[in-house]
Amino acid sequence: MFGDFMMGARSRLLPASVPFRFFATAVVLHAAAWATLLWAGDAVPGFIGGGGPALAALHLITLGVLAMVAMGAAYQLLPVATKRPVRSVTACKVSHGLMAPGVVLLSFGFATMQTWALHGGMALTVLGIGVFAVLIADNLRRVTDLPLVTGHAWLAVVALAAVLVLGALLATDFGAGFLTDRPSLAAAHAVAGGFGFMGMLAVGFSYVLVPMFALAQLPRKPYGLWAMWLSAAALASGFAGALSGVAVLDGLGIAVGLVAAGLYLEMMRLTLKSRMRRGLGLSFVLVRAAWVGLPLSLVAAAVVATGWRLDITAPLFGFLLIYGWLLTFLMGVLQRIMPFLASMHSFRPGGKPALVSALTADLPLKIHAACHFAALLLVAAGIVSEIGWLVRLGALAGLIGALSFAAFAFSLRQRLIAHLLSFPPVSATELRSP
Amino acid sequence: MMVHTETGALLHNDHVATIQALQSLEGFLVRQSSKRPADTTEAGVRKTLQGLIDMVANEVGRHFGFEEQHLFPLLAERGEAGIGDFLMHEHATILPLANEVAEAARVALEENFDATTWRRFHAIGLELVEREIFHIQKEEMGLLAAISMLVDAAADKKLAATYKALQEA
Repeated sequence: MFGDFMMGARSRLLPASVPFRFFATAVVLHAAAWATLLWAGDAVPGFIGGGGPALAALHLITLGVLAMVAMGAAYQLLPVATKRPVRSVTACKVSHGLMAPGVVLLSFGFATMQTWALHGGMALTVLGIGVFAVLIADNLRRVTDLPLVTGHAWLAVVALAAVLVLGALLATDFGAGFLTDRPSLAAAHAVAGGFGFMGMLAVGFSYVLVPMFALAQLPRKPYGLWAMWLSAAALASGFAGALSGVAVLDGLGIAVGLVAAGLYLEMMRLTLKSRMRRGLGLSFVLVRAAWVGLPLSLVAAAVVATGWRLDITAPLFGFLLIYGWLLTFLMGVLQRIMPFLASMHSFRPGGKPALVSALTADLPLKIHAACHFAALLLVAAGIVSEIGWLVRLGALAGLIGALSFAAFAFSLRQRLIAHLLSFPPVSATELRSP
Repeated sequence: MMVHTETGALLHNDHVATIQALQSLEGFLVRQSSKRPADTTEAGVRKTLQGLIDMVANEVGRHFGFEEQHLFPLLAERGEAGIGDFLMHEHATILPLANEVAEAARVALEENFDATTWRRFHAIGLELVEREIFHIQKEEMGLLAAISMLVDAAADKKLAATYKALQEA
């Protein structure tokens, strides 16, 4: 894939400033999310909906980190994978320009329940993601091959449409109160956002990124395609079940989703088994842990569907899905993609490209991983035991980890600039652009 | 990363062999550390260094030469000059480094390492491992796909025969 990156596909190589503006925003909002969870602390155990800092923390992760990384990565990776350039680089930048302030404003609105911020933030966020959805759909529309990647991306785009509509309704309802069954809409929004939009993007990109980083071949098995179709069925069933409150549909969606997850994980196992690169590093510790989180989140969803102790099982399900599976996966991938892309952009005529190892500060990543896992355990324990200070302690660990990750990202920027400065003809404008 | 052509399969086999050799070298360098010079009177060390010298001469030198002289011109004829230009630039970075590492290994087999020559060998050896693996990553993900897309069956057969002849030479 990254051969394409540099070949006649220069038109598909986006300026570094495009993906990195999304990644940099995600890194900052990642710390903000854990800080907000620290603030929310006592409200997290028993949280099954409503406004306040717990909801703000959740959306800082889902929109500020997960969607932000997914957008930056999709703009860079999808055109490379599909061999079709993104229609407009300016539109990519516009989507960030709308999304970044939109997420901050929306989260502020959720935390303080100020309607103007909530509605304004929601409008900007919906517009930003909407631009993204149009650009990605336009790119996918012109592709007939790569069914595993594009099929999952299509599922993500369809799910995104549902997320945006329901999200806009739910946000508008704050202060207006016109919805008669808010919990059902919120549940459907969670299914479409967590398993649909983000989940399908994570799974789809796995089929590109895991073979690339591990130097492996995707197995010649149909499991990936089966998983994709089963995921579509599971999402439809789960979404309809959440919206209608029909428990059979929930159960069917979860059962089919578990089979789909199993097939996807089997594809990943076979891929890694065939790998040429032995040591996969710390990033894959996170990725493998996330792969444990995926089926766990589905099992938790099944318990929620029974209605048993929703004050514990509902927030635990949300935490396992968003933090355990998706955030853990994304942080594992992000710490690998950032130096990889930086190295790709470090090429200058007459000089050697920067080594990925020379761009990567290992210690902050080790601290991040340790703190991230500690945070997962402590917050989950806090939710199960309904002890607010355990959640706060976990959030503090998450915040320290997020700050360490930010130190890694800042160090990467400084190292890249130092490398580029070693070549005399580089202009100051070019240096500032990432 | 699927291999659909005979030429792609031959290049892929080279990549597998090269990565195995590089990972052995990486393990050896990391175990030894930059502060403890390897003793080339030890049979295991001699085997590792000789393997490295052979890899550079055969897999790296022959592989790069085939790509530059036969494969990239064909891809350029078929409208895809960019990948060849880019990969040749990487070759120009990697080959002198690989030759320096191989030459240092050759000298060490005769004269053993001292603290200074070992530190240099350790540093350039690890740099070679990283640059070559990163390069192979790009060839596996991009070049093999480009061959599948742009090289028809007849040209593939001819290219593969050329490469086999080089391997047997």
